[in-house]
Amino acid sequence: MLSLRFSLRELRGGLRGFRLFVACLGLGVAVIAGIGTLSAAIITGLERDGRSLLGGDLEFRLTHRGTTPEEQAFLARQGSVSYSVQMRAMAHALRSDERTLVELKAVDGGYPLYGSVELEQPGTLDALLETRNGLPGAAVDPQSLIRLDAAVGDRIGIGEAQFEIRGVIAREPDRATEGLTLGPRVMIAADALEATKLVQPGTLAYWHYRVKLRPELTAAQVQDAAQKELPTAGWRIRDWKEGSPGVRRFLDRAALFLVLVGLTALLIGGVGVANAVHAHLDGKTPTIATLKSLGATTGLIFRVYLWQTLLLAAFGIIIGLVVGTAIPNLAAGALADILPLPLVAGIYWQPLALAAAYGLLVALAFTIWPLARAADIRPAALFRDLVAPGRSLPRPVYVIATLLLFAALAALAIFGADERRFATAFVGSAIVAFVLFRLIAALVARVARHIRPRNVRLKLAFASLHRPGAATAALLLSLGVSLTLLVAIALVESNLHAQVEDRLPDEAPAFFFVDIQPGQMDDFRATVLASPGARDLETVPNMRGRIAKVKGVPSEQVEVTPEQRWVLQGDRGLTYARDLPAGSSLLAGSWWPRDYNGPPLISIEEKAAQGLGVGIGDRLTVNVLGRDIEAEIASIRRLDWSSFGINFVLVFSPGLLERAPHTFLATVKAGPAAELALFRSVTQRFPGISVVRMKDVLSELNAIVLKLGAAVRGAAGITLIAGLIVLAGALAAEHRRRLKEGAILKALGATRRDIIAAHVIEYGTVGLVGATLAFGLGWLAAWAMVTLMMGATFYFAPGIAAATALGGVAATLLLGLAGAWQALAAKPAPLLRTT
Amino acid sequence: MASPSANPPAVERAPIVQLTPIVQLTDVHLTLASTAGPVNILRGIDLSVQPGERIGIVGPSGSGKSTLLAVLAGLERVSKGQVVVAGGDLNALNEDRLALWRRSRVGIVFQSFHLIPTMTALENVAVPLELAGANDAIARARAALAQVGLAKRETHYPAQLSGGEQQRVALARAVAPRPALLLADEPTGNLDGSTGHAIIDLMFGEAAKLNSTLILITHDENLAALCDRVVRIEDGRIKSIEQRPARPQAAD
Repeated sequence: MLSLRFSLRELRGGLRGFRLFVACLGLGVAVIAGIGTLSAAIITGLERDGRSLLGGDLEFRLTHRGTTPEEQAFLARQGSVSYSVQMRAMAHALRSDERTLVELKAVDGGYPLYGSVELEQPGTLDALLETRNGLPGAAVDPQSLIRLDAAVGDRIGIGEAQFEIRGVIAREPDRATEGLTLGPRVMIAADALEATKLVQPGTLAYWHYRVKLRPELTAAQVQDAAQKELPTAGWRIRDWKEGSPGVRRFLDRAALFLVLVGLTALLIGGVGVANAVHAHLDGKTPTIATLKSLGATTGLIFRVYLWQTLLLAAFGIIIGLVVGTAIPNLAAGALADILPLPLVAGIYWQPLALAAAYGLLVALAFTIWPLARAADIRPAALFRDLVAPGRSLPRPVYVIATLLLFAALAALAIFGADERRFATAFVGSAIVAFVLFRLIAALVARVARHIRPRNVRLKLAFASLHRPGAATAALLLSLGVSLTLLVAIALVESNLHAQVEDRLPDEAPAFFFVDIQPGQMDDFRATVLASPGARDLETVPNMRGRIAKVKGVPSEQVEVTPEQRWVLQGDRGLTYARDLPAGSSLLAGSWWPRDYNGPPLISIEEKAAQGLGVGIGDRLTVNVLGRDIEAEIASIRRLDWSSFGINFVLVFSPGLLERAPHTFLATVKAGPAAELALFRSVTQRFPGISVVRMKDVLSELNAIVLKLGAAVRGAAGITLIAGLIVLAGALAAEHRRRLKEGAILKALGATRRDIIAAHVIEYGTVGLVGATLAFGLGWLAAWAMVTLMMGATFYFAPGIAAATALGGVAATLLLGLAGAWQALAAKPAPLLRTT
Repeated sequence: MASPSANPPAVERAPIVQLTPIVQLTDVHLTLASTAGPVNILRGIDLSVQPGERIGIVGPSGSGKSTLLAVLAGLERVSKGQVVVAGGDLNALNEDRLALWRRSRVGIVFQSFHLIPTMTALENVAVPLELAGANDAIARARAALAQVGLAKRETHYPAQLSGGEQQRVALARAVAPRPALLLADEPTGNLDGSTGHAIIDLMFGEAAKLNSTLILITHDENLAALCDRVVRIEDGRIKSIEQRPARPQAAD
């Protein structure tokens, strides 16, 4: 292969000019490979520990009730069964008199079927929880001790029973698969639960039955059998292999977003790659012309330099893959502490192959163009007095190849993702941003050419902006795209914070009360309203149920948009109402009359209706307490989710549900000063009512937003680094020109001030234009994400966006001054002599 | 300026009979676009060169000499007129066909050498042979390099060679494929006097050995006088063609 031989010889010239090429590719590839490896490590961990995370081979979960004898018999036939009951409850430390909401878990002797509970005390869990001297034991996590200001040996009251804290839980095998928890864990024996009297008809409690299957049975067989024998049990059945769909979904989404951010870094790096190749080939003009004069064809020249690009790209990609594999593996130990998830370190080929494919596509997409133009260099350039303009566009085949490569990149990004809509939106925005910044760069150059200022400094600056080979386009692209992403992310994050925090004081209730028995309602109402400062008490009936069928089709077989899949997963809160709930507006259909008492009707929330593909008149079957209730959709409502009121996706007409056992939910508003008294009076009087303090939930949510925000900002920061590498590369490519120009200007009598001013004007213009556009585009992208994708109201934080954009201007100016410094540092005489 | 220190090789030549000319230019015009508007560089050149002839082209700067050479090498396309060189109608060949045509037929020596900086002397000489697909490229390059007296410099890079040595490598590179036509553009322009003479001697010697046609651009009248014919160009036109019947034996 002649072309390979020639390109290897060419590489002897050294890789100096290609350090940035390698860095740009390596960085992007490392991000994509690293995120892919991390997510693969977690997924592998989830699979490896799937049985202990789920607590069994199969889990059957019932809401509001335990199994019927038939159900129990069915489970027993499948293998060994262990059950636990989980619910929220108030714990009261008798010594300190502190009360707090806890996640109560009552476990039987078989728990856990897989894995083990690690305790800080010697002894088994069973032994700790047994009843000694008439007092049952409790094991708690360290957070419970802090909140209750209690120690091992203290007594706590839960409901109407008392327990002795006997142990501290260090690790609970099936904890990671539980979603948002509102309180710390308290574990008791299942036998001891009854004495608390917390479990009443309609109480919000979950019965988890874990089954260790008999060896001859498969999970699929048992699921089928359950479906056939007990079709209306209404239980949620999970296989250990899909043990934590919520965690996986979150992981997939996070990984998708981060990979796309990594791809942006790679694309920005692509600009640097194109620049590096362009600068390299500029220096190769005589060599290329010489080779052509010796009889090399355009195609051969193209192949010679394509080989070089491929060799260097392979080098950059390998570095990226090594770094991308090493970092998650080295950090595995630290990450295992932060993430409550199992993590299996190792080398995962699939994400590495994906990252390498992205790297190769980007390297080719950005280099075909400059390579083709270089191959078109006319050999006549070797004769000194011939200067003729070359082709402005490469040959059509190369233009088509470039377009195909970009199309392949977009296709890989979109079709490689589960959430195509999001990936498509992201890719679309990236294309818009790149094209827009490229056009603006051309416009800046054009304007700079036509402005002919008198001022020497301005003249110098504008000349630099538009002269052939100016870095204006590369600067604007790399700076602009990374700033746009940063502005968008800063705004989305500030929006999340704002939704959670800033709007709280005037709108949100102070407390949610859960599991109020119907018979307690009057007493409860009186207690709350008697507490000073408590106002706006709202109560609503509440029970849980699963959507079993949509238009007669079992929900497992229903096609749902990914965004609304959650509606069918697990159980949903249900209520019944005579009047249209506050915070809802009717979109279609009509609300039933106040005294309606006919067959059950449903009012469904707008987005859920869209996701399930149902409309007025369609029928939904909802399983409540092991009974299928079929109801017709009578109306579609729009909700304001951010109002923090009590919202339900499904609202039933009164009648049928009214007669089923259920409890009430309540919210109440109270000023900060009134909170404590209200909390105390309710929890003392009603030990069975769980009290959720809004501020605790919000701080929990905020902590999550903060953690996510840090991860996202970290990833976005990498695009900025990519942008800065490109900027530095563009500056380095101009190094010689600046030295010479500085020398000539000084020889002609320019002062240091003139040179600095010209640089500040040049880079300030680029920075300002880039930042202004990034401000606008980032705003638009954030608005689209918040309103169109999250369905929330957009809240504009101009300060954050402006600060981000101005940071970009500052970075550009600093780089510009570095350029000025270079120009000033050069001694004019030697440079002029050698020219 | 003194005349060359050594005589051009005294090879017996048969009187020139009318053979098929190796170069046939008919009414060649070349206009280049420039930012200041079109520039007429060649304005009607007619020239016929016989195989084995040695032509010196002289003229002031900007007269179009180098352009004419580029046209002969197939590096520059004419705007009008016919160009037939070494059996090829250059107007009829596209860029890649021209490259293939050039490989075996034309050797070029440049004023500023144009060696490829990342290749050794030997590799530089081998390039045209490799491009032409010769299996023995390295061996032939080695021989050519020995021919110009640089056998010991094979592994040196251009930057490690003196100007004269670089031009000798360039000459070896030009003659290694045994081209029918050897073109030289001010080959001594970047060299001092005695080094230049040595190169000229070598070049004439190689051309004679290969029986190649030599077309030499120079502004040095003494150098031009070594050729069989001297073509004077001014302002893109041939002003005169002088036949040199006798081989000048320069007095030393």
